[in-house]
Amino acid sequence: MSITIIKPGVSCSIQDLGRWGYQQFGVPIGGAMDRDAAKTANRLCENDDEEAVLECALHGLELKFNETVCFALTGGGARATINGIDVSYNRLIKVIEGSILKLHPDAFGCRTYIAFASGLTIKKELGSASTYVASALGGMHGRNIIVGDELIVNKKIKEPNVEKDIVIDENGFGISKWKAQVNLLPNVNDVVELSCVPGPEWELFDEASQAIFSNQIFTVGAQSNRMGYRMEGATLSLKEKTELVSTAVTRGIIQVTNQGHPIILMADAQTIGGYPRIARVCSKDISLLAQCKPGMKVKFKINPHRSL
Amino acid sequence: MQAPRIYAIHDRALTIEFSTSISEEINLLVLQLHASLETNPFDGFIESVPAYSSLTVYFKEDVSITKVETTLLEHYTQCIASSSTNIAIAIQSAKHIIPVCYDIEFGLDLEEVATTCKLSIQEVIAIHTSIEFRVYMIGFVPGFAYMGTLPVALETKRKNNPRLAVPEGSVAIAGLQTGIYPATIPGGWNILGKTPVKMFDKTKEPCSFLQVGDTVQFKSITKKEFEEHK
Repeated sequence: MSITIIKPGVSCSIQDLGRWGYQQFGVPIGGAMDRDAAKTANRLCENDDEEAVLECALHGLELKFNETVCFALTGGGARATINGIDVSYNRLIKVIEGSILKLHPDAFGCRTYIAFASGLTIKKELGSASTYVASALGGMHGRNIIVGDELIVNKKIKEPNVEKDIVIDENGFGISKWKAQVNLLPNVNDVVELSCVPGPEWELFDEASQAIFSNQIFTVGAQSNRMGYRMEGATLSLKEKTELVSTAVTRGIIQVTNQGHPIILMADAQTIGGYPRIARVCSKDISLLAQCKPGMKVKFKINPHRSL
Repeated sequence: MQAPRIYAIHDRALTIEFSTSISEEINLLVLQLHASLETNPFDGFIESVPAYSSLTVYFKEDVSITKVETTLLEHYTQCIASSSTNIAIAIQSAKHIIPVCYDIEFGLDLEEVATTCKLSIQEVIAIHTSIEFRVYMIGFVPGFAYMGTLPVALETKRKNNPRLAVPEGSVAIAGLQTGIYPATIPGGWNILGKTPVKMFDKTKEPCSFLQVGDTVQFKSITKKEFEEHK
């Protein structure tokens, strides 16, 4: 069973829940930016949570099903159609051969996840199928999805139980009557609140910067990517200039550059960093942040209660 | 020895900071704690990441963070005790001689470094090849080893405008550190030359050519030798 990519859209890559155990060699964890959405897509398909999925930033993806396939769309950032007919997210979809799935622009969210029942045939590298372009690891030959890529869907071991109730109509597809319960996606007009705790270097920032960070609104910058979100807004400064000894960093850490701009580290975060870390976004809100696209507004809600 | 500072960088990751300065002695303790955790992992341990003077431990979400903290301190106390009585875990560290071609075709900043440091190009090369460097940590990108300590005579600042693409294999310096770019990526270090040795290979075990604790001495080779090595 296979799928042909007609257009990859803004950016599309294969991801799973990440590459663990290689950070001591400098290899980032990587994996899906919105882990919750990736898991939901797999669960809809009755796959393991760790199964490889497609992660599509924003819109533009177009793909053709070369056989009858069961799949699920989760996350957001786009409106989906099959053969020109709108199709809903967070449900199991069965589609016949020759059908075309397209992702169109939408005001909500940022990343769509597509899981296929039985999963994709992708060679794992260093324990994961996640694409990490900088070291050509995982995915399709270590790179993002391009025009003409043919993705192989694993042979069915068993018919998913849930698939039996789906009736294919005259448009060439059918969707499940039930759906997965998911959180609301952020909209371009929202101010998204992110729960944070003070970072290891919180005390090194001057009081004015601590107040700005906690009270002002920041915007997700256009330079944001899978490595990190560059936040635009007021600049932050330290009480005094301090050179820090580099130490481990990870997803959720908010580091501040020498120019005073906060960067929130995301899935492909480097393993070690040397910038002062003002705060970290609680892991429960990382999926929400992964669904914020450039231009969206964010407010950091500092919870002074530290877990340690 | 000051008491270590322990803090969370994630709800599933704790950092134990031994010190806020860089020394070989501290880095060796970091490695001992790393080895101690890898040889004798606690329930729910995923991996640990050594840095210059700290170690970060990642664990599964069903483990209590306070329990990990207690376990980490136990391992730490043991490491301190055993290092003072010379029964420390033997850290396997390799000695490498890495060939570098210091031709100006590869050493894109060689002339600038020589000018800044008020040295001749030959003197820059002589200093860079005279020291046995220690690998303090691996990060930035897969396989990138942070090595020290460079003599003060070769101390330089990072470039004001980092290059968008530093060629793979470039041997570079910044501050009192030296390193080798394992892939063609953006970077701001000053490039002295190029090595034909591959620093990151996903098909090898381990994938990184250099390991924390290894020592490296650079050896100057000609362009012909560089081509032959490839």
